[in-house]
Amino acid sequence: MLTNPLTKNIGQDNVAADINRYMDNDGYRGWRKAHSMAPDDIIELVKDGGLRGRGGAGFNTGLKWSFVPRGEDSPKQKYVICNADEMEPGAFKDRLLMERDPHLLIEGMAITAYAIGASQAYIFIRGEYHLAASRLEQAIVEAKQQKMLGTNIFDSSFSLDIYVHRSAGNYICGEETALLNALEGKRAIPRAKPPFPQVSGLWGKPTVVNNVETLCNIPHLVNLGVEWYKNLGLGEDAGSKIFGVSGKVKNPGAWELPMGTPIREIIEKHAGGMKDGLQLKGLLPGGGSTDFLSTDHLDLPMDYDVIGKAGSRMGTGTITVLDDKTCPVGLVLNLTQFFARESCGWCTPCRDGLPWAVKILERIESGNGSTEDLELLKEQCERIAPGHTFCALAPGAAEPIQSALVLFEQDFINHVTMGACPYHSISTTTPLTKHP
Amino acid sequence: MPTITIDGSKYQIDGDQNLLTACLSLGLNVPYFCWHPAMGSVGACRQCAVIEYKDSGDQHGRLIMSCMTPVKNGGIYSVNSETAKDFRGSVIEDLMTNHPHDCPVCEEGGECHLQDMTEMSGHTMRRYQGTKRTYRNQYLGPFINHEMNRCITCYRCIRFYHDYAGGEDLQALGRNHQVFFGRNQEGMLENGFSGNLVEVCPTGVFTDKTFSQHFVRKWDLQTAPSVCEHCAVGCNTAPGARESGSQQNPLLRRVVNFYHHDINGYFLCDRGRFGYEYVNSKSRIDKVLSAREDAVISSTADEDERLHKDIPPKEAVLALADKLAQAQRGNHRLIGIGSPRASLENNFALQQFVGCENFFSGINKRDTQLLQLINTIQCDKRIHSPTTPEIEDADLVLILGEDIYNTAPRISLAVRQAARNRQKQQAESLRIPLWQDASVRQLEGESSPIIFIGAELNQLSDVTSKTLFVRPEKTALIGEAIANYVSSAEDNKNRLDPDSSQQAEHIAQLLATAKNPVIISGTGSKDIHLIHSAAEIAISLSEKKETAISLYLCCGEANSLGVTQFFSGECGYLEKLITELREDKGENDKTLIILENNLFRRLSSEDLHVLFASVEHIILLDTLLNETAKHADLIFPVSATAESQGTFVNNTGLAQRFYTVYEGTGFIQESWRWLSDAAVYCKERTETIEAISNWSHCPDVTEALAESVPSLSVIKQLGPDENFRIEGLKVARQSARYSGRTAIHAEEHVSEAPPPQDPDAPMSFSMEGIHNPNRTSLQANIWSPGWNSNQSIFKFQQEVGGERRGGASGMTIQRKETPLSRRPSAPNITDPAKSASPGLQTLPIYRMFGSEELSNQSMTLSTVIDNPFFTLNEVDAKRADLDHGDFVALDATCGIFHGRAFISGTQPAGSIGVPFGLPGLEGLAAELPGWANLLQVEKNATTEQESQS
Repeated sequence: MLTNPLTKNIGQDNVAADINRYMDNDGYRGWRKAHSMAPDDIIELVKDGGLRGRGGAGFNTGLKWSFVPRGEDSPKQKYVICNADEMEPGAFKDRLLMERDPHLLIEGMAITAYAIGASQAYIFIRGEYHLAASRLEQAIVEAKQQKMLGTNIFDSSFSLDIYVHRSAGNYICGEETALLNALEGKRAIPRAKPPFPQVSGLWGKPTVVNNVETLCNIPHLVNLGVEWYKNLGLGEDAGSKIFGVSGKVKNPGAWELPMGTPIREIIEKHAGGMKDGLQLKGLLPGGGSTDFLSTDHLDLPMDYDVIGKAGSRMGTGTITVLDDKTCPVGLVLNLTQFFARESCGWCTPCRDGLPWAVKILERIESGNGSTEDLELLKEQCERIAPGHTFCALAPGAAEPIQSALVLFEQDFINHVTMGACPYHSISTTTPLTKHP
Repeated sequence: MPTITIDGSKYQIDGDQNLLTACLSLGLNVPYFCWHPAMGSVGACRQCAVIEYKDSGDQHGRLIMSCMTPVKNGGIYSVNSETAKDFRGSVIEDLMTNHPHDCPVCEEGGECHLQDMTEMSGHTMRRYQGTKRTYRNQYLGPFINHEMNRCITCYRCIRFYHDYAGGEDLQALGRNHQVFFGRNQEGMLENGFSGNLVEVCPTGVFTDKTFSQHFVRKWDLQTAPSVCEHCAVGCNTAPGARESGSQQNPLLRRVVNFYHHDINGYFLCDRGRFGYEYVNSKSRIDKVLSAREDAVISSTADEDERLHKDIPPKEAVLALADKLAQAQRGNHRLIGIGSPRASLENNFALQQFVGCENFFSGINKRDTQLLQLINTIQCDKRIHSPTTPEIEDADLVLILGEDIYNTAPRISLAVRQAARNRQKQQAESLRIPLWQDASVRQLEGESSPIIFIGAELNQLSDVTSKTLFVRPEKTALIGEAIANYVSSAEDNKNRLDPDSSQQAEHIAQLLATAKNPVIISGTGSKDIHLIHSAAEIAISLSEKKETAISLYLCCGEANSLGVTQFFSGECGYLEKLITELREDKGENDKTLIILENNLFRRLSSEDLHVLFASVEHIILLDTLLNETAKHADLIFPVSATAESQGTFVNNTGLAQRFYTVYEGTGFIQESWRWLSDAAVYCKERTETIEAISNWSHCPDVTEALAESVPSLSVIKQLGPDENFRIEGLKVARQSARYSGRTAIHAEEHVSEAPPPQDPDAPMSFSMEGIHNPNRTSLQANIWSPGWNSNQSIFKFQQEVGGERRGGASGMTIQRKETPLSRRPSAPNITDPAKSASPGLQTLPIYRMFGSEELSNQSMTLSTVIDNPFFTLNEVDAKRADLDHGDFVALDATCGIFHGRAFISGTQPAGSIGVPFGLPGLEGLAAELPGWANLLQVEKNATTEQESQS
């Protein structure tokens, strides 16, 4: 049984699987099969397969597609968009997929476009991913030559063009409606909902936006079926997933593993455990905008709802570990600086609240903080709770802060009482020495 | 009607609104920033948070943004819950991390929405210890000051400027807490509605630079309801005036919007807002002037032009009384020339003073014909003159030959909203409420058809679905063809080229299928057939649809349609007077009394020469020195709109009264008062002169006029007379907080002078009296406790965006219903090449700044008026060997005029666009359209260099 559908074409060398290698290894079979199916059946199949969005929200992909208006009266033009704006701190899974096996994504997009009736598709890719972008462009050319894309695919009336759009660079573009605005050439700010993109998205037309990894799941799910796909997962969730580990482990990286693989197995077996002399202190399970989990949670399986119940989020599934020699305040400060900088500036609590949180964290980290600052920081996190802000950026930014304040409370207090960072050698606020 | 519960009280409310609007309509104080009554909700500021409960058992509820929440029947909400209050306080606290504490030196202070909301939200102690973000400000032109450090990033400025008004050059730039609202580079804001930024901005980022030159706080301004005199739309304004210590007399300091549901809503154009400064200009007449009889040794003045000296008013009044007496004795003729920019009352006074047979409208023949036709059209019951909200609701707008952005600016803003109606329909089909502004705007729907046929259209090109740039006579022919296609009549179709005919047929089809079409035309093109064809289209449609069709006709000046009511049929025009004078045997001496009119904008130089040569005395009553004043023997200083009470009739036939905001400087008084004074000193009195001499209150004149002109009978009901009181009190012009009245003249005397008494209106020139606008439509100081900014207007509306509770201003004049008779069809198009007068046809084009007489003399506004120019298209330019920017001479029948030649992509072939009324080109105004040749005088220096290199 195939257990590594996402990475089966990915070898040791940093090269993209070309279309010949891809097709020799059962590539585009899913697309051929899908094309012989009714679009509604594909949507049902994906829904039944239990594929959940790999971008972080974990919404059922087939269900998302089913909201697109279909039938005669629906708008003729629809769009599929691949969200390849991978900017979550600690995440690098989409990059791996796009750089090494671009055809898998293209095949997934082709099936998605066919299922919802879109003839145009965009890959909205992070600007810094130039290698991935050029490999995708090359792959699109190859796919067109093999008539997997273009006009009248498989001699049918179905046509599809895929364009690679390099993002100008903004974390908020990972939010699907801000992505749509950016793609239209507008300011990258999230849109008001309703209307949802499935009804009125790019240029006001029905649009499905899916994450790279989500789309890469589609070809094999269609080709090998729901049963196979469900059996890939160890626990509640179906399929496999690219899990990654960054931080001070022996073997940082990303691996395709079954959904529900326990955190401990990922860190200790695949990432080789902590570097010598370091202890695991906590971890961010799914990127910079997820709550810290403690060492008590190491045996939890990486399933959406399990991690959710533990008080965090699966997010991107790329784990960042915190060791006992790294300052948690500095880590949180670094993350908060990122989110404050990446705020789109639309709503007040995010735009003006996050820079304030940065200022407070800077004070604490530099030893100038007070106990009132800890209270204020907690209050800041409550202010940017979900629903209080326009989109999920600020609530996400609050997650590492609020959980660090609980899990690493003593560290925060030590900063205040010592009037300095106990981990001073690694302080992020230490000015960089300017080289002459 | 849904019932909702807010903080334990039950309310019945209209279901199609959001919770914030509902709360405000109920009079509850919910703070907000980004929501705007005319622009809807976007959920950016998070200031209007309240709590929503699932059901009566729900103890905690959920924090929601009231502006983004549709009210639902049975909904339970709390505005005053501690959680909601804390959150709202935290939003202010966040905003205040960067907002400077410069209120004492900020011109928004005292009418700052941010101050109000900060007070309301209860944020007092500063906990933020960091530095504040700072910006570099930009020069945005002479009207608007930019102070970005004060910005709280509510996005209202670009939502108004870009989304609502279509301006492209002000943008949100950058991101995170460094979003910058500005231009790519410094420079004057291009959009003619930029002044609204001052009112839309909740704090002091955008402030009024003209106000800044003589700034006082809002609470120190006295105000009264007024009507804008800079075009015929009739926008309601609240001018603000205050005396200053050094200068005894009050000074008009600014104009702000005064909400009128059917006309201007929340917005004014920049001509209306910044045009007021003419009142304080150097050319303002504030003394009685008399022509000097002493020999002038050397003068640059032309022949006929007089130099003036000031004389005691009584001397002048006696001189006028003497002429009146002579006229009564029958050995002198008094001739009166009225004005479309003077009030009904002033025109009426002059008509009575000189006698109907000696009274002329002050409008030339061509404009009289146009206005009489418009008046007749509006009397047809198949025609409806639409209000601004009705234009905004149109699903098709057809504009014939009227560059509304420049001739009736506020209407072009309404047309811009109409362009979004298909988008709104799509929103409705997706069940997205229309107040969800960002949601609606992101819908892609083709815009509603906005069709323009005419010579020039400014600022609306991005919303028009079809534009045909053709000369007026062709516009008329196409219009006629459209009417014929609508009514399926066959005649005339073959008079058009096949392409135009096809266009006409297509437009006719669109009109036939539209539910609420609005047709717009007017006097701008100066073409009677064009206006007639617009009416024909409306009537054909009306017969097809069996309902009245909206036709908005622009009349040009503030009281054009008003003064038209004094005459039945095409009479009273200026050329008629010229003809009379030409035929006159010269038996009697004649005195010409000119009322608030610069005849050089209305008559050809030849006619003017006859006019001035045929009369022995010329008396002028006017506000500003102008060309006409140079010929006057006696000049009386008269009050401007803000200094007087009177009535204007707007484009739609709505008569509106404006009130004295402050008393004018020097010897300034209303024209009718000068005439009445002369009548007092005249010993030989007829009954009419007796009546004139007895007028002492403006309502006396208004009532006499209402009796005299049947269509204007409603004007006596426009407002209460001077004796009206509310609980024994007048309406206060000054705010309750008006300061310094005992100190302002302390360097001269410490006693407080009694305030002037207003003989015309039941309003005081002091802070004593009624302050609540809910109790009277006369209160223009929009203020409510805790709501010091103009945002407080909702407290005085029946509901948010509804009529003012104090009553709307204006009543429609009662014209006799008469069906419009079909005119002979429009003449064929004249081919410039074959025309009797060789050359190119000169067509009037308009500019928001430059085409209107009074605002042209406003100090700041005058700095942005273009230098004389002429536009022509590329083909005609090539034929005349002209390049863009060349200095040219326009050789017209009335003389030679100089200016730059501008190549325009849209100027119809065979025509030259001549900016109407532009300083330097006023003399051409009377002769547009006409014929002329363009001759190159000097090559444009830059193009010459380019061609050399």
